[in-house]
Amino acid sequence: MRETRLWSWHLLVIPIIIVLLGAHFAVMHYAPVFYGVSVEKAREFETMIERGKSITQFVLYILLLAAALYHGLYGLRGIIRELPMSPALGKIVDMSIIGLGLFIFAFGTYVTWWTFSFKIGG
Amino acid sequence: MSDKTITPREITFRVRRFDPDVDSAPHWSEYRQHVHDGMTVLEALHQLKAEQEPTLSWRSSCRMGVCGSCGMFVNELPMLACQTQVLHLGTDVVTIAPLPNYDNVKDLVPDLAPLIEKHASVKPYIIYLDQIEIDEPTGEFIQTPDQREEFSQFTHCIKCGLCLAACPTVATDPLFLGPQALAQAYRYTADNRDCGMKDRIEAIDIFHGPYQCHLAGACSQACPKGVDPAFGIQLLKRALVLDNIGFGKKKSSVAKVMPLADVVKAIDEFAPPPRTVVK
Repeated sequence: MRETRLWSWHLLVIPIIIVLLGAHFAVMHYAPVFYGVSVEKAREFETMIERGKSITQFVLYILLLAAALYHGLYGLRGIIRELPMSPALGKIVDMSIIGLGLFIFAFGTYVTWWTFSFKIGG
Repeated sequence: MSDKTITPREITFRVRRFDPDVDSAPHWSEYRQHVHDGMTVLEALHQLKAEQEPTLSWRSSCRMGVCGSCGMFVNELPMLACQTQVLHLGTDVVTIAPLPNYDNVKDLVPDLAPLIEKHASVKPYIIYLDQIEIDEPTGEFIQTPDQREEFSQFTHCIKCGLCLAACPTVATDPLFLGPQALAQAYRYTADNRDCGMKDRIEAIDIFHGPYQCHLAGACSQACPKGVDPAFGIQLLKRALVLDNIGFGKKKSSVAKVMPLADVVKAIDEFAPPPRTVVK
């Protein structure tokens, strides 16, 4: 793929991360302001599970996961591939990063889905 | 230049020597030499070679900052030896080494092959799509001063390679195309007579292309011709992004061609006045 496309996405996801990370902070650290519960209460398992059942939260967290993963792994690729290496090794690094990204995304999605579909009390 | 008079004096030259036929590794040699005001590093080297060290090697040609042959690492900075006055360096010891980020051929001679290869890879020439016009030109392309201004400074590049020697990214990533080639890619892409963006994309829109630039700006500082390659790289990025989202300059046909007859007429209009002195 053209590097311009990859690089542009790397920049485009920044505002998405800022907004969604802001939402994450609002949920986790400003719970008394936005939800009327204490920070301790907001971090409890039951509260987290309860929150996780919101479809909005489910979608936002999947989006945040994808955006943060893309941004972070693109940067990691840039650092690793700047080391002297053959083009073949460069391709292996690219594929490994893609594989790592897909694995973390799948795992993150599974956890978010698990929370979303968790039935309290069995 | 300041009006301050600089007293001629003896300077110690620490020169890095390397002869691949004899030496297993480079070493430093020191020479004392009398230097007068206005003497350039290149002149000092010539004098040194004539009087003390006849085997000393370097590359040079024009002696006036045009050919770009005499790039050297003087006092830890890449510069043209012919443009650098020894006493203006302000040190009693002047170290001279070959340009970094290049292989060393001998003494102060760098192997500039990577510079030339990278330069050639970005197709640094005007690409015109109308093959008939190329084969049988009917006129000359028109370019206004404003159109020329878009890339004018980048035409001053003399391919001396100082920018690649200064670039911290080239130091760690030898495959990085580097400021010289990327600025030249922009120079031709921005030219209104050129239609070669599509042809160049394969060479420049790669991992080791413009996005690897760390914006250190060392290339622009090192350039002896005042070109700003770091800025050129940013302009190239913008051109690539616009092209990628479909807002690039679509140049399937170039600027209007001025018919040859008109060109000849125009040349006549600007012809010099007749001779006033008869031979």
